Amino acid sequence: MSAVTRPHIDLADHAAVLFVVSALCLVGNTVGPGNPIVGGLIGIAILYAIVMAGLALAKWVPFYLPSVAWISIVGIVITLPGVPGQEWIVAQTGNVNFLILATPCLAYAGLAIAREEIEIAKTSGWRIALVAVFVLAGTYLGSALIADLVLSLQGA
Amino acid sequence: MEAVRRVASLWRLHVLVLAFTIAAELVGIVKIPIGIGAILLLPLLYSFVLGLLANPNITALGRKFIGSDEVKAATPLIVIAIMPFIAKFGTTIGPAIDKIISAGPALLAQEIGNLGTIILAFPIAVLVLRMGREAIGATFSIAREPNIAIIADKFTLKSKEGAGVLGVYVVGTLAGTFIFAVMASILATTGLLDIRALAMACGVGSGSMMAACSGALTSAMPSMEEEILALAGASNLLTYATGLYIGLFVALPLVNWAYKVLRGAEDEGAAQRDSADKPANRKQEG
Repeated sequence: MSAVTRPHIDLADHAAVLFVVSALCLVGNTVGPGNPIVGGLIGIAILYAIVMAGLALAKWVPFYLPSVAWISIVGIVITLPGVPGQEWIVAQTGNVNFLILATPCLAYAGLAIAREEIEIAKTSGWRIALVAVFVLAGTYLGSALIADLVLSLQGA
Repeated sequence: MEAVRRVASLWRLHVLVLAFTIAAELVGIVKIPIGIGAILLLPLLYSFVLGLLANPNITALGRKFIGSDEVKAATPLIVIAIMPFIAKFGTTIGPAIDKIISAGPALLAQEIGNLGTIILAFPIAVLVLRMGREAIGATFSIAREPNIAIIADKFTLKSKEGAGVLGVYVVGTLAGTFIFAVMASILATTGLLDIRALAMACGVGSGSMMAACSGALTSAMPSMEEEILALAGASNLLTYATGLYIGLFVALPLVNWAYKVLRGAEDEGAAQRDSADKPANRKQEG
């Protein structure tokens, strides 16, 4: 499909960046929620391995899926009930608080805002900002209302 | 070794992120009660704001710490930095697979809810704010990277549709986490909708928005953390898999059609005037 260009993935580059990010996550996981450092270290090492496996799949599998989708799939498959070592993996990654994993990412995001983006925000003005709020509210409410309806129809 | 050297050359950036992470985590979650519920402020919101404050493109203070080269280098890091988070979500889905399957019909059905952008935002953009074809790019999706690719492919990013999608992308990037944290915490604390429905709705195809959304939900209802994460993660995965196709084959044609219905005659005149000025800018219709 012409709308999708399959991005090139440099595994060495990703491995190096992920090492730094994982270290940041470990610090956050220890100072914030106060998780045990050794358990957190093992948990984050497992997440690191899942990410690298997902990236390798995204690079080499002949059909295209975004790397984040592959990473999700690897994480799901190795923690499915009945998979060998599943309990241990779930216990170890349980030492990592999920919210802390987003904290370094958002700091990079704040630092990465470019001049062009500030210009776009300025020229598009208040109308686009208002529309954006309704866009986000629309997708959230739309999905939540449908899910709520179907759940109650199911009686689940 | 080359890769390690490249990462090490950005040490100032990483040290700043380390400092912001520690500061944000030490403050922790803050709950602000409002009439109908509560707004939850999460560490990821503080670290984002700290990042903005230290951004040399935004504040003079930021210029003391890092240069614009480092700002440029930070952009590809965002995508990589969210990956451990995505992996963690995967590990919450596997063990809860039974619950996911029993929620399957709701999970699949709520993907259609992503078209809520058109139902809610499109009429406001066109009828209330009197926007032109920008409204098409702005409201057919939540304007994440795959959606930008669709618009770039169909209309180019220099078009009005392109301006619309880029505008919402930037606002979403700047304020999306806040908006999701606020919406999710208010809805979770008012208890109008099933918390599992709110969790599924968090999966909109953006890691940071899902983080803010599911973070607010779990903070509001800690006893359901595992189920919330599993459902949000599963829904997000579905959106990654289907979002591009729904955008391309359903949402964009739908919003294009709606635009013609609402603006038909009025816009044709405008389009002719536009194309008389700049023939090269004529857009493909339909």
